[in-house]
Amino acid sequence: MSEEARAQVSVEGLTRSFAGVPAVQDVSFTVGAGEIHALCGHNGAGKSTVVKMLSGQLAPDSGQVIIDGRPAALGSRQVAQRLGVALVDQELSVVPALTVLDNLLLGDVRAPLVNRRRAATERCRQVLGDMGLDRLRPDQPLSELSIGERQLIEVARALSQNARLVILDEPTATLSDVETQHVFAAIRRVAAQGCSVIFVSHRLSEVLELCDTVTVLRDGRKVATTPSAELTVDGLIVQMLGEAPHRLTATRAAESQPGYELRIEHLRVPGRLEDFTLTAQAGRVYALAGQLGSGASDVLRALAGLHPQATGTVRLRERAVPFRSPVRAASAGVAFVSNDRKSEGLFLDKPISANLVATRLPSLARAGVLSSRREHQAARSLAELVGIPDRRLGESAAALSGGNQQRVFVGRCLLRGDVYALLLDEPTRGVDIGGRAAIHQLLRAAADAGLVVLFSSTELEELLELGDVIITMREARMVGQYDGGVDGTVLLRDMTHGAAAA
Amino acid sequence: MTTAKSDRRPPMAATRWAPARWRADPLDIGIVVVVLAVIVAGILTTRFFSLANARAILASSAWVGITAIGATVVMIAGSAVSLAVSQTATVAAMVFLETQQFGLPVAIILTLASGVVITALQGAVIGFWTANPIVLTIAAGFAIDGVAIWISGGTTVYPQVTAFNALNGTPLGLPLAVYVLIALTVLAELFLRRATAGRHMYLLGENPAAARAAGLPVGRVTVVAWAIFGACIALTGIFLAAFNTSANSSLGGTLSLDAIAAVLVGGTAIGGGKGSALRTLGGAVLISAISDLLLLRGFSTGIQLLVKGILVLMVVVAVHVRSTRSRR
Repeated sequence: MSEEARAQVSVEGLTRSFAGVPAVQDVSFTVGAGEIHALCGHNGAGKSTVVKMLSGQLAPDSGQVIIDGRPAALGSRQVAQRLGVALVDQELSVVPALTVLDNLLLGDVRAPLVNRRRAATERCRQVLGDMGLDRLRPDQPLSELSIGERQLIEVARALSQNARLVILDEPTATLSDVETQHVFAAIRRVAAQGCSVIFVSHRLSEVLELCDTVTVLRDGRKVATTPSAELTVDGLIVQMLGEAPHRLTATRAAESQPGYELRIEHLRVPGRLEDFTLTAQAGRVYALAGQLGSGASDVLRALAGLHPQATGTVRLRERAVPFRSPVRAASAGVAFVSNDRKSEGLFLDKPISANLVATRLPSLARAGVLSSRREHQAARSLAELVGIPDRRLGESAAALSGGNQQRVFVGRCLLRGDVYALLLDEPTRGVDIGGRAAIHQLLRAAADAGLVVLFSSTELEELLELGDVIITMREARMVGQYDGGVDGTVLLRDMTHGAAAA
Repeated sequence: MTTAKSDRRPPMAATRWAPARWRADPLDIGIVVVVLAVIVAGILTTRFFSLANARAILASSAWVGITAIGATVVMIAGSAVSLAVSQTATVAAMVFLETQQFGLPVAIILTLASGVVITALQGAVIGFWTANPIVLTIAAGFAIDGVAIWISGGTTVYPQVTAFNALNGTPLGLPLAVYVLIALTVLAELFLRRATAGRHMYLLGENPAAARAAGLPVGRVTVVAWAIFGACIALTGIFLAAFNTSANSSLGGTLSLDAIAAVLVGGTAIGGGKGSALRTLGGAVLISAISDLLLLRGFSTGIQLLVKGILVLMVVVAVHVRSTRSRR
């Protein structure tokens, strides 16, 4: 496939409304052969709607998609696939019960009716190698793989279809930095073969690192298409938000500040965490920097009482924290925000107000009977704190966007007299940039109000922006501890065994 | 769900149209249709709309209804159902008859206590060790039945003295059990809506993993729900004993499944987190009304059971359709 660098895919005047509300209006851009084109925008900007129209899942109200100079009638996802459009969706669509090989062949319209297993296995090994997954066997069931590895399989499947256009909708959301680098290398490889790539991501530094051109959408309209060489992260944010956003500058509190401590000594979780010791002071933000499986998330889960087999001693305000039961850990003043807000966080079918006050009901009751007045007051003041309008309090939490759901989840732990340590496992996973800034502000405010704040993250930007003290972790152990003034490259080297260090 | 997130229009626009669009609730439509059908059939049936028949309907829904209120609380709290209800009611009835010589108040208190202890113990195993409620209550049902037969020697229990005659009274023409059912429904509804423990039950039923991770008192709340259930079953046992003036091991009959049917027809979700005591009262009365109607029109018991089954199925399907639609 040797093509000229001409427009291979162009989108002309795409428009789509839902129930009279325009989601995408008159969006046009072109993607050349071999070009990696980013689609950026705040939540609700219309990225996913554009992606759905390009992949045949939604019909546009007007406008067209032109592939190789011919208007393409993308009636369904199958038709789109036959016309050479491959999609990696936000949600995993791999089948855990099938093997790695079966998953790679799954949904491939070119696959012959009778599989030629040996040839396919050979090809599969090569695809796995390209993805940095040499350690996997083609006949391994997918259920044995981690979430990150499954995502890589999904990306590999789309990239191995020899498509004209590959669309990746947030493919790196659940991946570590090392895994992300493998995905990028694979994307660059298919682009070099002349394939057009559309890349959707919230991680702006990734966008600038990977993509040639960036199209920014805001409120359903195109703002600009700019070569990424002319862009900075701040410039992109301005395009996305339409105003200069404030960047959080961590106010790094002094060591000698009076206050209580969270003292963790020799915390161990069999098979997950080895001997973790840390003293965290009230009023400061502590960041655990570690990839999936580094143990960072297990420190937090153990403290919250969700690893009953954990050992060690934990003291908060000079009192022992009984951390082998979630109920007792909570009553000792530990509040935990899981990295999975849907299944382990919110009560999605319940109103937003009920979610905000869910964990503080006893404090709003007298003799076990709730006071409506105090409940409303608490819900309103929390809604104000996290920036959700009062009139939405009665809607179910499921109606909120991911970013707003996360604000509710975090807000649930704030303004409580009985919480002294706030633990957050990847607090901004899958959250748009506006929601991210809001959550960072909430956490900083919580520390300023005198809480111990301890969070885990895999994103360097977030770690550097928010952490007063950064603890790096790898393979179930603490690697380093930095009290301010540390370079991102140092952190990345610690987290990844030097593999990705500059 | 993630795709829905990125699909969202700016919140302003979304809130303006979303609540305004009326969506037919399949459950409410279904209930309205069934109630209308009952009314029409009732008009065409002589003696259905009479005071005496209304009394009969209420009276026949009272025993099952009292137990069903307790079953509602447990179902909302996410523990699905108990299959040991009939056996527990039988034991409660036996305890009540055996303690008659201490006087009515003491007998009632001892019977309630036995029901609470037996059922709350099952709740503790479910709440603290996350046992499967169905498996556990099948086992508990056999064990309770076994103990009852062992202690009673497999014979019918007769009271030495009868202090319970007051319970068979019919103030204002309605059996006492009907008043107890109504009072219990109101209490349970208030508890579920306004008590901390009641609200915790909705949260626990909706998302047990989230409730656990948040440090909510999952075990304690489950035990409280089952203790309430136990008290309700014991109350039914007391009325059964007083009415029959004796108790043998088959006294409980089909109470387990009748109670579940009433809760489900009321529209409480078997998966937990949604429902109400008032709805269950409606479910119990509706089942009674339909059985009564079929009886008056001369249909056999078989047809009555068949219709009950179809009704439960319809409501369960409607509840399911509603919950899957609201997720979109």
